[in-house]
Amino acid sequence: MKGYRAYFLNKLLWLLVTFVFAFLLNFTLPRLMPGDPVAAIVSRLAQGMSNSTGMKEVYEHYAALFGTNKPILDQFFLYVVNVLHGNFGESFSQFPRPVADIIKSSILWTIGLQFPAIIVGWIIGNALGAIAAYLKGGFDKVLLPVSIFISNLPAFGMAIILLVMFGVDLKWFPTSGGYGFDLIPNFSWNFIWSVIVHYQLPFWSIVLIAIGGQAIGMRSMSIYELNADYIKYSRFMGINDRKIIGYVFRNAMLPQVTGLALSIGTMVGGALFAEIIFSYPGLGYTLYNGILGQDYPLISGATLIITMMVLIANFAIELLYGVIDPRIKAAQAD
Amino acid sequence: MRKTIPIWVAITLIATIVLSACAPQATPTAAPTSAPVSAAPTSAPVAAPTTAPVVQPTTPPTAVPTEAPVAPGAPLPRSETLYFNGQQWGSVVCWNPYSSNCNNAMAIAQQDNSRVTMFETPYLYDMLDGKQYPLLADGPWAWNADKTAITFKLKKAAHWSDGTPVTADDVAYTWASNVKYGTNPGVNFKDYIDTITAVDPQTVEVKAKLDANGKAVNPLQVFSYLSNAYVIQKAWTQKLEARTGGDATKFLADPADDVVFSGPYHKFFADDTKVVLIRDDNYWGKDASMFGKLPAPKYLAHVIYKDNAAGTTALQAGEVDVSQQFNANVQDLWLKDNLPISTYLPDAPYMIGASLPTAFFNMASYGLDQLAVRKAIAIAVDYNTIIANAMTNQSPTFAQVPRSLMNPTPGEQALYDQSAVKDLQFAGNDIAGAKKLLDDAGIKVGPDGWRYYKGKKLTYVATCPNGWSDWQAAIEVVAAAGKAIGIDITTNYPEWSVYQTQVTNWPLPNKNFDIFMMWSDGAGPTQPWGRIDHLLNSKYAQTKSNWNGNWGGYKNPDADALINAIPSETDPAKLKADYTQLVKIYLTDIPSFTLMYRPQSFHTVNESVWTTFPHQNDGTNPAVPPLDLTDGWSIAGLYNLTLVKK
Repeated sequence: MKGYRAYFLNKLLWLLVTFVFAFLLNFTLPRLMPGDPVAAIVSRLAQGMSNSTGMKEVYEHYAALFGTNKPILDQFFLYVVNVLHGNFGESFSQFPRPVADIIKSSILWTIGLQFPAIIVGWIIGNALGAIAAYLKGGFDKVLLPVSIFISNLPAFGMAIILLVMFGVDLKWFPTSGGYGFDLIPNFSWNFIWSVIVHYQLPFWSIVLIAIGGQAIGMRSMSIYELNADYIKYSRFMGINDRKIIGYVFRNAMLPQVTGLALSIGTMVGGALFAEIIFSYPGLGYTLYNGILGQDYPLISGATLIITMMVLIANFAIELLYGVIDPRIKAAQAD
Repeated sequence: MRKTIPIWVAITLIATIVLSACAPQATPTAAPTSAPVSAAPTSAPVAAPTTAPVVQPTTPPTAVPTEAPVAPGAPLPRSETLYFNGQQWGSVVCWNPYSSNCNNAMAIAQQDNSRVTMFETPYLYDMLDGKQYPLLADGPWAWNADKTAITFKLKKAAHWSDGTPVTADDVAYTWASNVKYGTNPGVNFKDYIDTITAVDPQTVEVKAKLDANGKAVNPLQVFSYLSNAYVIQKAWTQKLEARTGGDATKFLADPADDVVFSGPYHKFFADDTKVVLIRDDNYWGKDASMFGKLPAPKYLAHVIYKDNAAGTTALQAGEVDVSQQFNANVQDLWLKDNLPISTYLPDAPYMIGASLPTAFFNMASYGLDQLAVRKAIAIAVDYNTIIANAMTNQSPTFAQVPRSLMNPTPGEQALYDQSAVKDLQFAGNDIAGAKKLLDDAGIKVGPDGWRYYKGKKLTYVATCPNGWSDWQAAIEVVAAAGKAIGIDITTNYPEWSVYQTQVTNWPLPNKNFDIFMMWSDGAGPTQPWGRIDHLLNSKYAQTKSNWNGNWGGYKNPDADALINAIPSETDPAKLKADYTQLVKIYLTDIPSFTLMYRPQSFHTVNESVWTTFPHQNDGTNPAVPPLDLTDGWSIAGLYNLTLVKK
């Protein structure tokens, strides 16, 4: 157990160091973008204004309000204070809405769309990959090219194909929104059903691509494991196939689990293309617009959450590895 | 090896950020594709408004059900809801009419054609005839004898949503608050309006700011305020002041969920996916002195689409009734898809052009100070291709509406003498003419095939913001024209956040900013004066934080003198002569050139549920303009709507 404690402390230390650097980057990177966020806001307000001194006043008002005219160090402390308050400050692009409020209203949609899609895509993909590796023959010959094809489709391509086929032509599913265009949200069967129906196309546009990628990875890993000496030995021993598949699956899974943890960590970033093409509510599009509009507090707030999710997911996986695979723990604790 | 994992995490994180910034560039046109139409105003200095107009319903008024609002969860009744797209992009932030940050496109837009669904202006501007019609006001406004103050009355029937009457005191207090808290109208008009006072509860006096000679600084801006700025209740404003302690920032940042309004609609529901307004059945406008009835739809709903493509799909599916967005090849919707969809005009250009997206020459760029070079580029551009590609023919061509400084509305076209400038109105694609012009000016083709001016090759970059697909298409055509006449023009598309910082701060970057696109004013009460002022006035040239115009840095004292004289000019003949002279200067000097015409608002309607939308020659008097039944006099269209008989 002593070894595990050293391992744990080591990982925790690295987690903290990474977090500090990530936090600094979260603050710095958006501010390194060329351009001026206040000018973007003024340009929106400037429509139809004809008074040039007035425009300067408006500009200076917002520059002072957002603190973009202050030294970068002051801005950093302002940011830290806002983060510690838990509201991440007020968004520039949706001023005076606090960033926390923006994230709160869209993050549930994002997680609701992404989490099941990642899990389902991962399970189906890995199962198909393992089966293809095991069965070989016709199944494999069909699955591999299909998987490569699908996993290499750009995300927006898949979304548009589904939209045109099932939304526009067949009219099986609605084409946009998180729920019926004519509904007001509440807990009624009508509304929930509408959410389920609207969920399908964005969901499958993510799942189908994930399946392909996962299947390819799992197939190669499984083929590698199937040819490993211990499997051949097991076969000679006459161990039944079902049991052998179990071994293969468990060993081939390890890298896939890491991938899963990272996908779950980054999912908060949102499924940008699915959100745009199906006008699905979520954080991805909000973040995208924040980046285009140089909304520093919003970018920093959203990326900070992504950072923490990735770090936590990764930390959890590391700890699990330490338990699952003693070799890793032993190597790290040296 | 394992120790590198945290580093990988950090890299992944950075990659995530970078990728999320890069990836979207491949996105099909996102929301802000189209250039914002600058919302300044249409016709000549307008004559005082006529008396209250009559809305002429083409069919008997629809029976208006007045039962309780729909319960959450139940669908909004389709036959009582008018759906929009293209107005609201992103979530609603607040309901504060003093704020300009509410991103609340269905309820708040104080501009030349102000949105009057929830808050109301004294007058409504009609961009088709250039007149202002009374809304809260009773009858036309009037100047005093020396043209230094305007007086108008308020309708007795006008009342707030809490039942109290709209008074002159409210108008005066709104102005005082606009100035005190630095709201957009306050900042915009305080150089032209001195005070607004209540003469009596029904009578308002607007005193103009006076110049050294005791004349109004700009009479156009004074009456422009009357159809631009909302009247907001004094009692509610005081409540807002009390809770924000007089702090201007807090005052403007208040979400104002308790706001009192005078308009026919107010908030019913808003989230990240839609915004719904519901009719106030006690709306004062049902009084005989205004509309005489309530607007037909009980709900105005706007689903928040994330790009134009999603909006078009919804329009095709009948989930949108009024579309204020660019639908590429809009005619296909009825010609090929046989949908009950139509635009204001039955054939190309489908819309009424109101603003003039313009290419500016950077007068500081090498060679662009030479008229021959500017003119050669401008006459070589193939405008028909721009109009066909960038606008899919939703713009009049320059054969239909020859170039000037005026937009294509009849009111503005009548303001200058077309025959006097006929020779100057180039139609484009004149490659031979452009080559001859350059040759004659001694700007000859060198051995490498490009033209040289005083021994230096002419090479330029044409630019506009990235993702504004219609503008990018236009800029590509400009670059092609340059190549055709031996001037090396390449294109460059920075992000809007970068572009707008560069374009509004002189000096322009000395690289990558030689020919660039910006907007010009649309239709409104100060037009075309405001547009010309913005395009030509030297006072904007070579300044910083310049959101007004003349970004290329053009200076011409003759033009300035004419521009400064027009707002006080009352003689129509002199006015026409002045405008003609300005057009002559503009088309002779070519400091910038119009690339296409663009409507004030896109206006496409789907008549599968509602019908009798505004169309050309629909019999309404005054004609209801195609501004989506929400802006200025276009709101009258809501009272004419009827349901399609099934």
